[in-house]
Amino acid sequence: MKVPINWLKEYVQIDCSAGELSERLTFSGLEVEGIEHYGSGLNGIASAVILSVEPHPSAEGFLVCGVYDGRRELSVVCGARNVKVGDSVAFAGIGTVLPGGRRIEQVEIQGVESEGMLCAEDELGLSDDHSGVMILPEDTPAGTPLPQMIGPPEPVLNIEVTPNRADCLSMIGIAREIAALLGKPLRLPEVRLDETAYPIEDAASVRIEDAEACPRYTARLVSGIKLAASPPWMRRRLFECGIRPINNAVDITNYVMLECGQPLHAFDMACLKDGGIVVRRAKEGEMITTLDGAARSLTPAMLVIADARTPVALAGVMGGASSGISGSTGTILLESACFKPAVVRKASKLTGLSSESSRRFEHGIDMENVEWASRRAAALLTSFAGGHVARGVIDLFAARPQRKKIICRFGRVRKLLGLKIPGDRVMDIFRSLDLDVSESNKSYCLVNVPSFRLDLENEADLIEEVARIHGLDKIPGSASRCTVVPDADDALSRAVALCRSHLCGLGLTEIMNYSFVSDTLLDMFASGNAQGRVILPRPISAEHSVLRNSLLPQMGDTLRRNCSRQTEKAALFEMGRVFFKDEKGLIEEERLCIGLMGPVGRSGLDRRGAPSEEELFLWLKGIFESLCHSLGLKGDPLGFSSGCSRIVFSATDRKTPARQLFPAACLEKDRSVFILFDGQPVGIMGLLKQSIRDEWRLRMPVALVELTTGSILQEAFTTRSAAKLPMYPSVRRDVAMVVSENVTHESVLEAMRKIAPKELTSIDLFDIYYSKDLGMSCKGMAYSLEYRSLDRTLTDDEVNELHAAIKAGIKTELEVEIREG
Amino acid sequence: MKAQDILDLKSKAIEECHNAGSSEELEAIRIKFLGRNGLLQEIMKGLKGAEPSERPAMGRAANELKQELGANIGSCRDLLGAAKSGGKKRVAFDYTLPGRWHGRGARHPISAVIEDAVRIFASLGFTVADGPDIETEYYNFDALNTPADHPSRDTQDTFWLESGELLRTQTSPVQIRVMEQQKPPVRIIAPGRCYRRDTTDATHSANFHQIEGLYVDENVSMADLKGDITYFARKMMGPEVKVRFRPHFFPFTEPSVEYDFSCHVCKGAGCRVCKNSGWIEISGAGMVHPRVFGFVGYDSEKTTGYAFGMGVERIAMIKYGINDIRLLYDNDIRFLEQLSS
Repeated sequence: MKVPINWLKEYVQIDCSAGELSERLTFSGLEVEGIEHYGSGLNGIASAVILSVEPHPSAEGFLVCGVYDGRRELSVVCGARNVKVGDSVAFAGIGTVLPGGRRIEQVEIQGVESEGMLCAEDELGLSDDHSGVMILPEDTPAGTPLPQMIGPPEPVLNIEVTPNRADCLSMIGIAREIAALLGKPLRLPEVRLDETAYPIEDAASVRIEDAEACPRYTARLVSGIKLAASPPWMRRRLFECGIRPINNAVDITNYVMLECGQPLHAFDMACLKDGGIVVRRAKEGEMITTLDGAARSLTPAMLVIADARTPVALAGVMGGASSGISGSTGTILLESACFKPAVVRKASKLTGLSSESSRRFEHGIDMENVEWASRRAAALLTSFAGGHVARGVIDLFAARPQRKKIICRFGRVRKLLGLKIPGDRVMDIFRSLDLDVSESNKSYCLVNVPSFRLDLENEADLIEEVARIHGLDKIPGSASRCTVVPDADDALSRAVALCRSHLCGLGLTEIMNYSFVSDTLLDMFASGNAQGRVILPRPISAEHSVLRNSLLPQMGDTLRRNCSRQTEKAALFEMGRVFFKDEKGLIEEERLCIGLMGPVGRSGLDRRGAPSEEELFLWLKGIFESLCHSLGLKGDPLGFSSGCSRIVFSATDRKTPARQLFPAACLEKDRSVFILFDGQPVGIMGLLKQSIRDEWRLRMPVALVELTTGSILQEAFTTRSAAKLPMYPSVRRDVAMVVSENVTHESVLEAMRKIAPKELTSIDLFDIYYSKDLGMSCKGMAYSLEYRSLDRTLTDDEVNELHAAIKAGIKTELEVEIREG
Repeated sequence: MKAQDILDLKSKAIEECHNAGSSEELEAIRIKFLGRNGLLQEIMKGLKGAEPSERPAMGRAANELKQELGANIGSCRDLLGAAKSGGKKRVAFDYTLPGRWHGRGARHPISAVIEDAVRIFASLGFTVADGPDIETEYYNFDALNTPADHPSRDTQDTFWLESGELLRTQTSPVQIRVMEQQKPPVRIIAPGRCYRRDTTDATHSANFHQIEGLYVDENVSMADLKGDITYFARKMMGPEVKVRFRPHFFPFTEPSVEYDFSCHVCKGAGCRVCKNSGWIEISGAGMVHPRVFGFVGYDSEKTTGYAFGMGVERIAMIKYGINDIRLLYDNDIRFLEQLSS
């Protein structure tokens, strides 16, 4: 809110600088976001009179104006359309610097020289208006410097008023705060009203149909109105507050609203049928054209002011055009009322119409002040618009609210703030804010909350008043101390951090994508799961319209984006939530995703050339195994191809429940697996489908894994016990075999495990080779087997016997040729 | 045999080993003197039968033989090896070649800030708590003392879902969830994602992170809040950082404050980062509103507490000098790897 300091000075003595005042306000809860100097930087700008207006010969939309600046006649090209011969306008000659820093030069606009500029208000920093050239009062002599007309620059505070402080949406409200901060009295304007006309009841009536929505309604009649411009001081203050002066009658209603926070409305009495006003709910299908010229259809959710026929105002939001002040207005019905915040809010939302008035009603207004505001405005209308006020006021005030009484215990103040503050100081603070202390003793006081402080409801609210007026800087910061909460545990969060640091240690970089994605991207990865997606009904953009149901699509997209920026090699991971819905409702799940692209894992000299699909897959699998290991899911010495006996890989073509949970369709069918943990599907791993790579021009193969982390993180911090180390030496024997190309490592392990004696303690694959000698579609595999007994040294003969049995076992299980030698 | 005999033997052996012409010869010398059935073993066996008075000296001499001869054999072997390779083609060794490692990895700056904050608050006894991203109106607004028509709902535009649930606009719902589950004392920190319908620009993102803190016990005061926030600021941004508090308004705290850190770039003198104010606004905090205690069944007479929230992106941007929030979600590897540590 814009607050001119000069205006405040009418209500409170301010003898500090604008900067100091800002500081005090900011540290008491009214944050001053900036100080503007209204009317500064206007040197060189003066009035000029329009002598002629011609359309520009070639530049469409431009005018060529002849102007007189008090010394000579000049020709100026102008883009605005609102000038006519005889107007007095704001003119900046060649060499003038506008408040924004722009210097006016002589320019040629399509063949016509322009010797200056006719300025709009926004160009002069006087308002936000850029609708046309600033037109000055008619009788302004040409050459009058604008600073002389505007007055000297004055500081205007731009204050952010928090939603609870409705009382500070007014000059008096802010002045009251300043009075408390500076220890000065608050002076309210004295209102003396001469009621000279007929009794109001003779001409007007008011009826409230919905007293809950409108707890108070007052009306005054002011006749004999002579519309004219408001006095310059009033115009200037409205300007400074960002409100456009219109005429004395309208300006006065706005002025009083800014002064005390009570929105007012002036109806042209002649336009109200039968002079009667009804405050009622709108009827379905009723229409109103509001003052901004828009026709609006109304619903019963909205409260209206109506005359005997139709609505004449949308209560608290905006008046109707038909009953507004116009040149012919002679008698005004002045409305000052209180409308329920929720009702105004609803109407404002439904119509999309927000005004200075609706903003104040939504925050809540001081019900006790309604009549004072009306009186104040009526008095100003008498002074500045020639009005005569009818005798009396219509004041319908159904239920005067009780004043709240709150007990404030001084001990509680000290406890909550951690501040040693005497009770007398606490009460002084209350009194300085016009909070009436009616009762007190050594340990507490009773505060009667005035009607303008809607925000004060309990003791904590009063304690806040003490904190902010006394000063937060006076509260000492305690020395921090560790306090232990027994049984509190955050192992899961530590396990996540462990995953993160482990993966970073393996050379992976963490990424973070939005929780929102586009349908298109999800479809590209898995078009089958569309019904389980969580849609945002009002997305910001189509790119961000669905909650992600997998981390893979964005991982793929991230690799694509980096690839397009000349990064051909990447090892990335993301940990985050995914969202989907099933019969039971919305589900969110923590997941981990890893994406590898190009020759990752290889060091410097080996990076030439793309890795084979198998190589990249095995890098990914290695990272996965290593991660499982760090999470306490250790390998089995007899070697499961997954690295851990509790984790099983199964082909993605099998029907498993994981198919719905993970977008398996984005992976190459025979280059991907489901991951099962203790029999439950927890993820998928594999190579990104060729068709997606082609579409995204990914030259290098991409390997992806996505895991649900819930279960696999559970044992990260399980304590393990040490086993006795073996005392007797082990013996190694190798076995080399030739098998068909499609015999897997896992099936060889399986064959060996089947007949493994207890002395077989480990199986290591140490070579795979292809050679012409082996024949087409065959490969050689070589394993090193370790034998050991826990209670004695094995003899050569014993080992040979065990080893022969294993070899024989492999032969019965697999089609294999064992190489001897 | 006397100790002197052993020392003589030592000299002889060392001489022999310097005369050796090949590593095979050297190995033979090692076996002869130090092998399992070598002369040293014999001497050791002989110790048992020696005069008790002689034994310590003999033992020392035997040990000397073992140590010195072993060292001499080692150095002679190196010499022989070097001479050998000098004669043949040397195997290349270039210690300036790039080392072999996986490449570098990096935590995302947002994770880095969260982990640092969690670590700092853990040192004060805070543990991590968590809540869902998809929240109910009750936890996100009602129980946080933000009734339906309250103007403060205006200040945050919410993503509502078809189910009537919403994407949480703040991490504060975690406060309610935790207090519903446990009795005081409560000392938690809750990092998490939040969502607001902000149009994305250099400083706004519809998807962002907050860290919520909550401390409830008997006798928690605003002085504790000030102390702990200041402790955090110094650990996070550096020991010279100052913190200031300004009164503010939040529906779920009373009194409420906003807090600023002194600008770490200009040390408070005023610069572009802090818009010449010397201060950078961080976030909000306050004393838990008695009505919030009412919602979770705590006795607001007996217990008091403070709560704070802070924007993770904001801290990350300040700490790492990032000028556009969008960089945090663009995931450009070149950007992320700069911050690896």
